[in-house]
Amino acid sequence: MDNELQAEKKSVPFNRTHQAIEAERMLRRIKDDFSDNPDAMDYFYDLYEQVYCKGESLHKEEKVVGTMCVQVPEELIYAAGGVPVRLCNGFYTDDQVGAEFMPAKSCSLVKATLGMLDKGSTLPFVDKVENIILPATCDQKRKAGAMISEMGYEVYDMEVPPVKESEEARLYWRRSVHNFAVSLKKITGKKITKANLKDALAKVAAAQKAYRTLHVLRKESPSIFLGKDAFMVTNAYFFDKIENWTAAVNRLNAELEQRKEKKITAAQRRAPRILFTGSPAIFPNLKLPVLIEESGGVIVADETCSSNRMLYDMVAVDEYNTENMVASIADNYLKPCTCPIFTRNDDRKRKLLNMAKDFAVDGVVYQSFSGCQVYQMEHSSIAKALQAEGIPMLFVESDYSPDDMGQLSTRIEAFIESLKAKRRRKR
Amino acid sequence: MRNKIRNFLNNGDLGRFRFWLQLSLFILFVYGGYAAINMGDSLPTFSCTYVDGKPGTCFLVPLQHRMVTTPEKLFSYAGMAILTGLFYFTLWFLVFNKAWCGYACPLGAIQDWITALRKKLGMQYVTYSWEQFKVLKKIKYILLLLLIFIPMGIGSGIFSYDMGVPFCMICPARTILPIFSGDFSQLTIDFSSKTKMIMTSLGMLITGIFLVGAFVKKRFFCFFCPMSALHYLLSKPALLKLKKDGSKCTKCGDCYSVCDMQIKEIADDVESRNILQDDCIMCFKCVAACPEEGALEVDFMGQPVFEATVQGYIKRMEKANKNG
Repeated sequence: MDNELQAEKKSVPFNRTHQAIEAERMLRRIKDDFSDNPDAMDYFYDLYEQVYCKGESLHKEEKVVGTMCVQVPEELIYAAGGVPVRLCNGFYTDDQVGAEFMPAKSCSLVKATLGMLDKGSTLPFVDKVENIILPATCDQKRKAGAMISEMGYEVYDMEVPPVKESEEARLYWRRSVHNFAVSLKKITGKKITKANLKDALAKVAAAQKAYRTLHVLRKESPSIFLGKDAFMVTNAYFFDKIENWTAAVNRLNAELEQRKEKKITAAQRRAPRILFTGSPAIFPNLKLPVLIEESGGVIVADETCSSNRMLYDMVAVDEYNTENMVASIADNYLKPCTCPIFTRNDDRKRKLLNMAKDFAVDGVVYQSFSGCQVYQMEHSSIAKALQAEGIPMLFVESDYSPDDMGQLSTRIEAFIESLKAKRRRKR
Repeated sequence: MRNKIRNFLNNGDLGRFRFWLQLSLFILFVYGGYAAINMGDSLPTFSCTYVDGKPGTCFLVPLQHRMVTTPEKLFSYAGMAILTGLFYFTLWFLVFNKAWCGYACPLGAIQDWITALRKKLGMQYVTYSWEQFKVLKKIKYILLLLLIFIPMGIGSGIFSYDMGVPFCMICPARTILPIFSGDFSQLTIDFSSKTKMIMTSLGMLITGIFLVGAFVKKRFFCFFCPMSALHYLLSKPALLKLKKDGSKCTKCGDCYSVCDMQIKEIADDVESRNILQDDCIMCFKCVAACPEEGALEVDFMGQPVFEATVQGYIKRMEKANKNG
């Protein structure tokens, strides 16, 4: 980065940067285009405003450890006294900056993350991040590691097996996680012990418990909670203080519980129920979820790494000694992971089919970022599996640019209409 | 009402329930005889015949005795005796399936208590590698074949009568359980003949291995137990069942993490409905550690008695985290 540009960046207050304006715009849309948002959502709206619009730091006194994928065991980072902050980024502004690092047809998420890290000084919540944990997942993330190193960050390459079914993979990954646990001492300066790991497990379990409760509340029909808010909630888990996040989700759950009793619904009784899968919806790139719900659909569940895949599966431990805890944590981050980087996707198919049944889903929307080959390659197999069960699916290839909004809204509206028509025919 | 009972069971603390049931049944199988309880001689668990206060006898004892016969007799009245024994054994077994191992077996209980002691000392347990596992799990079938064919060999004059009840001679239940009624006499080597000396020495050696093994490996002996092998051969029609609904499984591996017997299928097999494996001791720790509604369940005659639920899972895990 040339000095001139850097000087200019420093002189612009954060709330007037392109990012802040982009964030502001999406936040307004999420808040104001929908009536009757739950009061407990204010915590999250304010959090986004504070972090993304005002650029305030959340973890001033903490050792922030950046993570690049859902496979990084956060319990270990908490145990070592760090705060894991997921760096996967959703800003179009950063996507444009990041374009210089990657080939033209690359994933927006990776480009945006690179762009965000490159600018360094205007980073809102991660102003002090020095260490970044990068699991070797997809090709683009893998190759991003060296570039991030060059920007001056300490990158820890975490090895992930490409096959997850075999015993070899389990052992390989367990070793990889074990090595990571040991290496964390160098990053945070604190050793992982039985006591602090146990506390970390409890902390994450409490968050997951809150998430699960919310997850179950979304089974209600007619829906009492909108998917755009659900994405805001889970996305906040990327960077929020975990205790605050858990408390806020518990408040939200309590309010939704009341709304359920009072029969206050968030969507119409006949609103098609959508299951969202594929590339993650990360603020402020929530255009697809928002479009779905503006068109009269309601997202009742998702299978993405910014939400369900990150929070759903909980760790059980038989004997609370360090070695067992680390092994159990390791298994939990690999075996149930439905990331498309692995060779097989039977687990993902099974999970989607089960969710579709559980949440009485009318249709599936499959988002794939242009340039995300792995999600594109899984498209046909997922489509087939859903088709066999008679579940309609819309495959949407999109990126962070706002250019395709018009085209997208036409397609989404048509899909929602077709689901409504199908419902009518059924009756 | 029905739902209330179901919730109560599903939210229950399985560990505590199991501890007390195991202790009660241990008392029954070691001292029950003193209370004039008689459960017959075809029990599908180690109610050891060498224990003074036994309420009944482990089926492997009469099986080994009755196998000492000639082939001609085996296909006439001796065969009938074996079949009647097997009939009563099957009746006992069919009700509780392999839960005999996880809840009733006194030798199993001792191993769990040794494990608890190790846990208290904060020591790490060992596990087998997958390669070791695959080889070692065959041993129990070999022992089962031997305990049938060696007595037949005695009957045909191939082996000496001193080889009688060969499995009991090497079984740690014979040496350890009598101690609980103050009888240390089994902890000796019998020098009356060469065969007896070898068999009892082997018994002493295996007792030592058992104690060390159970200390470092959870349910160490069950892996090699010929009773467990015999159970598995009859387990298909049993009334108590461990069932899995693979469509609800996310393969998170929590069940595998808590499994004392390192059974991988419990997490990885999403096809089988009846998920019982030959090494399973039906302790149901997996069901207690499963966070997916109804992915694992314990059925009795088709009625679910204990089911995996998120609520129950969270309750148990929070408690375990606090106490562990």
